[in-house]
Amino acid sequence: MHVSPLSWIALTCAVVAAVIMIYYLIYRPPLNGRVKALMMLAVGVLPIMTAMIGNLEGLAATEHQAFCGSCHTMDMHIADANDPDSLSLAAIHSRTIKFGDKSCYVCHKDYGMFGYAMTKLGGMGHVYMFLSEYAWYDMEEALPKIHIARPFKNDNCMQCHSTTGRIWNGVADHNGLLEDLRTGTTSCASAGCHGYAHPFSKPDEETPSDAEAHTALPAPSPEGT
Amino acid sequence: MSPKVRIEKFLDNASRSRLMVYACVLGLIGLALMTWSLFDQGWIPVMAAMSVGQGIGTLSFALFLVIVIIDLRKAEFRPSLPPREPQKPEND
Repeated sequence: MHVSPLSWIALTCAVVAAVIMIYYLIYRPPLNGRVKALMMLAVGVLPIMTAMIGNLEGLAATEHQAFCGSCHTMDMHIADANDPDSLSLAAIHSRTIKFGDKSCYVCHKDYGMFGYAMTKLGGMGHVYMFLSEYAWYDMEEALPKIHIARPFKNDNCMQCHSTTGRIWNGVADHNGLLEDLRTGTTSCASAGCHGYAHPFSKPDEETPSDAEAHTALPAPSPEGT
Repeated sequence: MSPKVRIEKFLDNASRSRLMVYACVLGLIGLALMTWSLFDQGWIPVMAAMSVGQGIGTLSFALFLVIVIIDLRKAEFRPSLPPREPQKPEND
């Protein structure tokens, strides 16, 4: 468990506030100006600081795999993403430093102007679905029923794979489908292209290693993608 | 009884120390929920801190503000300086 310095500041504020409040509850001093100023600190200033730091830390925590994986229905997704032998898109990307521990968030977040808020709103939808339905399923029941709420956008892939590089355009399939890929008509993460990001959850599993066409692809390169 | 009259009656009769006790108890519960999320960052503690915890904390602070309002209603406001005596017209 990693606790950031900000969290320690929040904890200090909370402890000081709690000590003042417990002191009041035990000794009940008369509420004169001095006591009220102290209580203003205890129920106002210090808890607000704790809440603000808690918000910062809480929102940062929602970007980590551990948060996504804290629902049992995501166990297999996380296990596959962190499997060093897996060739799924999720695993390949999770092995790079750009994604790493935040791979769920980096791939699934919205990249628009209100992307952060929209992503969090979508996350609330996931919480609702989990509480209202999936929480009561075990993995075997849940896996066939879990599906992405909206089709995965190619725009998310294109944050890194710009579709303008020479090597990328040298691949015949990329070149022939360029407009379809840019507009999202053809999904990068689909059977026949790069395979599903979480292939174990699909009835017809296909990963880059399963698709013969991909054996001709050049080795991934950060340049020219 | 209209809501306004009801609120005024409450502000006239409420016990400040009892309100402060409620504020402290709620504040301690809110703080406990908010600090839990700092050390366990699963979805339950994080969401509890950012919704229920902060809601309870806000309620606690609102009770404290009610105490301040009660005090302000009972306070006697006195001007800090005595009124000046009217100047006497100078004799020519």
